[in-house]
Amino acid sequence: MNITPQLLGIFTDIYGSYDAMNIQRALLIALVGFITVIVVLACIALFIKFIAFIFAVIEKKNEKKVSTVITPIEHHSSPAQTSDVTLPETESQGELELIGVDEPTAAILMALVSYKTNIPLNRLAFRSIKLVEDE
Amino acid sequence: MGVLLENFSTVTFSQVAMWIIGAVLIFLAIKKEMEPSLLLPMGFGAILINLPNSGAQHIIDVMFRVGIDNEFGELMPLILFIGIGAMIDFTPLLTNPKLMLFGAAAQFGIFFTLCLASLLGFDLKDAASIGIIGAADGPTAIAVSMELGSKYIGAIMVAAYSYMALVPLVQPPIIKLCTTKKERLIRMDNTAGKAPSKLTKILFPIVVTIIVGLVAPDAVALIGFLMFGNLIRECGVLNSLSETAQKVLANLVTIFLGITIAARMRAEEFLTVDTLLIIALGLFAFIFDTFAGVMLAKFMNLFSKKKINPMIGAAGISAFPMSARVVHKMGLEEDNQNFLLMHSIGVNVSGQIASVIAGGLILTFFR
Repeated sequence: MNITPQLLGIFTDIYGSYDAMNIQRALLIALVGFITVIVVLACIALFIKFIAFIFAVIEKKNEKKVSTVITPIEHHSSPAQTSDVTLPETESQGELELIGVDEPTAAILMALVSYKTNIPLNRLAFRSIKLVEDE
Repeated sequence: MGVLLENFSTVTFSQVAMWIIGAVLIFLAIKKEMEPSLLLPMGFGAILINLPNSGAQHIIDVMFRVGIDNEFGELMPLILFIGIGAMIDFTPLLTNPKLMLFGAAAQFGIFFTLCLASLLGFDLKDAASIGIIGAADGPTAIAVSMELGSKYIGAIMVAAYSYMALVPLVQPPIIKLCTTKKERLIRMDNTAGKAPSKLTKILFPIVVTIIVGLVAPDAVALIGFLMFGNLIRECGVLNSLSETAQKVLANLVTIFLGITIAARMRAEEFLTVDTLLIIALGLFAFIFDTFAGVMLAKFMNLFSKKKINPMIGAAGISAFPMSARVVHKMGLEEDNQNFLLMHSIGVNVSGQIASVIAGGLILTFFR
């Protein structure tokens, strides 16, 4: 049994302003409004993506100008350290030659390589880090 | 002597009821710490305005006309937006722009409630004003309901701010109802995305204002003031202005707004069946906001390789940062290593933008 008309009747009694046109218009406004909000926010999201893309391109170009050569060697079979004690994942040991690069920069680069390659620092050996100037 | 006692005889039951309501609001603000900066002034204002022959009535009416209902528009809510904009850090959103969509989905409650209120016989403009409770954003609700000339502004304000304060009670059961344990356990990558550059952060408020302004011109004031506040924050050369906007300006306007809203809390206007209906409809709006946000996340999971914890969708209502915290806390309750805060804050700030756009659209439709 459809009780909607009776229910609406009750509210009509209370407010005396039930209007089918109002409801149709409300539905239309709700539909258009909700879709518009989604579209506008999607546009803003696309804009952010676009800006991020442009910055990524510019950054790549800048990286080409001054680049560093890093030669990571991954030891799959045995850890980089020679001692029997296994080092924590965030630590490493051994000799590293720095050419034109200071220690903090080298540390950042090693951490970056470890992060990007998903190889823990205790399994990575760096022989040298050298600054290469563009010709 | 008779003059002094005259007031006692003119006290009505409805005025006493309003004192009790005022006391409850003050209690919630102090004891439960629910939106104290607004509920306390509103509660005190409710008592102030409902004293018989209150000498404060005139001055509160004047404050209302100056700050909210004047020929220049809703001055105070708009100024408050500058402070809110200066408080918001959009970095989590700029890092993962996909989160924008959840903010949009969580505005569903506004439009659903608009239809529901219209079905219940409210005039369309009043229905829209009631629907905007679902924006979970006090200044937007004030600005829209005032602009549309709703006579229910007192009830709308009380509902909007009360439910914002009650987010920790309202949202969790709905989220749990809409999600499975497995879904709530989904972990999200906190390292994904690259931090946005300073230029992006500066461009963002400008471009958002332009895009929204083109689509919904009536939203320009709302979004423009919000984004202006954010631009002050992000430009890096106006730190003292940014701090003033975040603290002094926002606090001043909040005090002013809270007590001024009481002008619409007179017993004869407030204690009606309509108020109860509006409060119930406001609850519906919050429930359906939460529901829609969660459902969008579930829907996106059908197509996405990287699964999204659907709970973050619920943070799309703009009760900032309460909703984000609720989602984060729920994530930790399910798995103490599941940190959702970064994502839920991103969704939450997108909800802030979305609610302002929704408010502006409603104004555009009804002007």
